[in-house]
Order: sequence, then structure tokens, then C-alpha cells
Amino acid sequence: MIGRRHGAGFPVGMLVLVLLPLILMPIAAVFVFAFGGGPGEFLKALRTEDAQFALRFSLLIAFLTAAINAVLGTWAAYVLAKHRFRGERPLAIAINLPVAIPTVVVGTSLLLLWGPIGLFGKLLEPLGLQPMFTPAGVLLAHLFVTFPYMLGSVKPLLDELEVTYEEASYTLGAGRWQTFRYVILPALKGGLFSGTLLTFAHSLGEFGATVMVSGNLRLRTQTAPLYIFAQFEAGKVAQANAVAAVLAALSFVIFFFLLRYSGKERL
Amino acid sequence: MPPTQSTSRSRLEGGLLAAAGLALLLYAVWPWLPLPGRAARPRTVVFYGFSILGEALNEDVLPEFARRWRQTTGEPVEFITSFAGSGTVTNQIALGVPAQLALLSLELDAERLAAAGVIAPGSWRRLPHGGVVNRTPFVLVVRRGNPKNLHDFSDLARPGVRVVHPDPMTSGGANWALLAEYGAAARRHPGRESEAGFEALRGVWRHVVAQAASARAARTQFENGFGDVLVTYEQDVLGDAAKGKLPGEIVYPPSTVLSEHTLVVIDKKIPAADRPLIRALVQFLWSEPAQRLFVRRGFRSVDEGLNGDNPAFGRIQDPFRVADFGGWDRVKKEIVDGIWKDRVMKEIGK
Repeated sequence: MIGRRHGAGFPVGMLVLVLLPLILMPIAAVFVFAFGGGPGEFLKALRTEDAQFALRFSLLIAFLTAAINAVLGTWAAYVLAKHRFRGERPLAIAINLPVAIPTVVVGTSLLLLWGPIGLFGKLLEPLGLQPMFTPAGVLLAHLFVTFPYMLGSVKPLLDELEVTYEEASYTLGAGRWQTFRYVILPALKGGLFSGTLLTFAHSLGEFGATVMVSGNLRLRTQTAPLYIFAQFEAGKVAQANAVAAVLAALSFVIFFFLLRYSGKERL
Repeated sequence: MPPTQSTSRSRLEGGLLAAAGLALLLYAVWPWLPLPGRAARPRTVVFYGFSILGEALNEDVLPEFARRWRQTTGEPVEFITSFAGSGTVTNQIALGVPAQLALLSLELDAERLAAAGVIAPGSWRRLPHGGVVNRTPFVLVVRRGNPKNLHDFSDLARPGVRVVHPDPMTSGGANWALLAEYGAAARRHPGRESEAGFEALRGVWRHVVAQAASARAARTQFENGFGDVLVTYEQDVLGDAAKGKLPGEIVYPPSTVLSEHTLVVIDKKIPAADRPLIRALVQFLWSEPAQRLFVRRGFRSVDEGLNGDNPAFGRIQDPFRVADFGGWDRVKKEIVDGIWKDRVMKEIGK
């Protein structure tokens, strides 16, 4: 407790005053509008076939994305942390790039690669395969966009992990897999947990890339964020807000767990 | 706190978290679980449409067709639909979305699909009424009580009027609106049509304060308080106006265009087994029951005799069609590109 001054009322008040319209009030507005028509209207808006599909589809994609990227991301982190090779840095930068690329650009590039006019798309077309504008296309986009989160959560832990533990494990006669399973994996638990949650949360809210590759088909490829956008554009603010409130609540819960279990020291 | 207690607490929390995650997963996959007693997935038709068609198709016309199809064949049919600006829909279809049928807001978009090799050139003209399923005139929507006293497109040129307009790059309705604004002036000044039309467009577009991607999105902007006047389809605002739910009122310009909405059938996305179903659906769209449903939703039928069904339709002194200006090919080249894009927008510098 050093440097904390008393009489912070004024600066804190100013900060809250500035943040109120920037962050706090918009969050509140979603809930105020969602429940504006009473809980009956809110539930009715949520119970439509389209809203239910959009929520389930978003969750499903988020689960799949989190599961796949948990494995892929941990593997990538392990390879990058344990091996020294030429081109290591460029590779590390490249796979972290999705954080910085605008998601709409991701969508466009996926379309250009996998779409009917794209490089892979042209090869797949004669086989009757067309991943774009299908759930597979949405999954591809989400895997791309959320890839770095797992890596970012796990790799720092692997970098800090003392080599001596691993060496001890090998000395005691453990194999590669046993070492990974009983020495490395337990040390990564926190990172795996927060990485998976972060991936899940980002997938749940992904919009820019999804809107490009999904075709926005109701009951087939319309995720919850796309549903919100489509309903809002169509002037059905109540429908849009009901699903928005659910997404916001889910993200609060996820954020709460992130803070509770891993992120404490970072804040 | 003794360590044992804290571990058991965190165990409990971990268990709760896992249970919550599982519950969420179960909720997500529930409709796809192959539980006994669940019917197989029905046959599906993928139908794309431009923005204002959503309610009429999703709530009336397509369910009515599904009901009749089930009655005659015993087979359920499910519709997968998507609605956006006509230009957006056209671009998506050109890129390969699995649309089987699309109802576009203007023939020009059908021609773009033909140019992209998605459909055979002119294939829609072989459908009833040259592919036109229904029509609706372009109108003005003003704030209640018409405080700016706007009665015609030419009034939008008055200083201080703020216009909400859909974007002609992505919205078919915006292209119709351009033709309405141009045509109303051109028809009043025989002999100097293109100069009068140019001045009219310049007058309106100087005052455009918001451009939305679709007619529907433009209306949402207007309803959220932007602008003094909205240029849009009569159909899109008629229902709410009749119910008193429109935050504004409709003004019928003395002279305006009737938009005509074109159906395209994307043959190569239709499996052979589904052809009879699609053929029946296409026929149904022009049948009297379907046309009456469209009229009830505020579209004007291609069968003029049915338009008496909807007493809310406003009267227009001098309605005109795109054919009066030589069809969309010419209108696009000479008016949309030649005058609006190359002259008006350059002069305004937007």
C-alpha cells in the first residue's frame, strides 16, 4: 500500500463521470431495453424459433472452437516453446497475427480462399464440397480469429516452466507422453482454463468474420450476433435486445470466472 | 481457514462450473440429438429476398405454401431464408451462397446474376409477368404533422431538409428511389428531361444525411430519429402507418415510380428431386391466394383487380414504371451511373 492518497473523491468522480456514458451506461441500456416490455415480452422474444436457433448455434460453434483451439493452441505453444529452429520468430508472429487483423478482413480472405472462386474452393467445387456459407465455414472463421488466445495463455507458462522438472521426469524413466501428461500439463492448468474461456467468449461474440462467411441464413448459419444485427436492422429492437441481453449476461459470467481463477494478478 | 476446507470449496466451485458448462452444451445440441420419436429433417428450400420482404414471406406466403404442399403431398417442407439489401443478396449469391430462389428488388440484380453465370440470361423473363411478383410505389415518410411541409420530391431540395436515403451501391430500393426522384422531375419537363432530372437529383442528394445499406435499415435510422424525411417503399411503412405505429406519416408525391420485384430461380442449386417442389412454389407465388397475401402485407399485386383488397393503398396521380424510361439497362447506364454517380455525386463531393 504505497502511494495511495486520501481525498481521491474528485479524481475518482471525474473518472466515473467520463466512463459513465462511454462504458457503463451502454451496458445498462441493453438490459433496460430488453426488459422494457416486461419479463413476458422478454421471454417471448427469446422463445422464437430463430432466436433459439441463433443462441444454440452460437454456443455450439463456441464449444467446438474452444475444444479444437485448446488442443491446437497448446500443441503450437509446446512446439514453439520447446524447439529452437530457424524461422521460429516469423512463425510465432504469423500465428499471433489474427489478434491484429480486422475480422472483416479475415472473412474476406477466407471467402477468397475457400469460396467458389477461391484457390481451395475451385478444387472442392467439383467434389460438391463448399465450406463457405455453411456451419463449417463459420467454424473455420472462428478457429482463425480465436487461435492466438490459447497460445497467449499457455506459452508464457511453458516458457517459465523450469526445464529441470522435465529432466527429472525423464531421468526417472518417464516417457515423452508421461512427462507431458504428469509434469507439463498440470503446470499449464490455469493457462488452459483461461485460454479456453477466452476462446469461448470471443467465439460467442464474433461478428466481423462470421457475417462474411455465413451467408446469414436463419435456422442454418445465423449466429446470435448476426441475429441481433439482422433484427435490429429490421427495426425489431425488442427481439434484438433480448438476445443481446443473454449474450451480455453470458459474457459477464465468463469474465467473472476468468477473474476468479486466473486473471487476478493481471488486474 | 484450514486448507482442507478451502480445497473442498474450490472443488465444489469447479464442479458447479463444469455442471454449468455441461448444461450449456446440452442446451446447445438439444435440437440435434437423435432422440426417439423425432421426425426426420424435412425437405428444405433456401429462399433469399431483399430487405422489406421478410415478414410477408416468413409469416404469410411461405407458411401458406408449406401448408398446401403438406396437404397435397403429405410431405413437410422447411424454408431457410435470408433478407438483406437487394445488392447485398445479389453479391452473396454470386459468391455462392446456397440460394435456390431469390426475390430481388430490381431486374438489374437479376442481370448481374446472369452476367456472373449463376442463372441463364433472361431466364426470369420466361416466368409469369416477366418475373415480376409484385410492386409498390416510392413515397416520402415525414415526421408527424409534416413540420417541414414536404409534398413532393422537389421539396427535398429546400434548404434545411435532412433526407434519410438507402445506399444505391447495396440497396435496390435506393435505385428505385433515384428513378422516382429523377422521373418525377423529367416527366414534368418534357423536352429537357435529363437536365431537369439532374437538377432534381442534385437537390435531393445535397440533403442526404444518412445512407443505410438497405431500405429497411434506412427506415430503422429514420425511426431512431435521424432526418426529416425518408424515401422508401410504400409497402415498408404502410402496415405500421395503418396501425398508428409509424413515428411519422406517409406523403404520396404526385408523380412516382412503381418498383417491380423480380424472382430468379437458381437452377444449378436445385437437386433434381426438388424440382417439382420448386416449380409448385414458383407457380404459387403468382396464384391468387399468394397475391392476396402480398396485398394484405401492403404490396400491390401484378393482378390489378386484387388491389382493391387493401384500403390503405394511397392514390398516385401519375405513377410510372421503369419501362417508361427504357428499362433498367438504360436507366442504370444513363441515370444511375451517367447522372447520379458521375455528375451529382462528383459535384456534391461525397
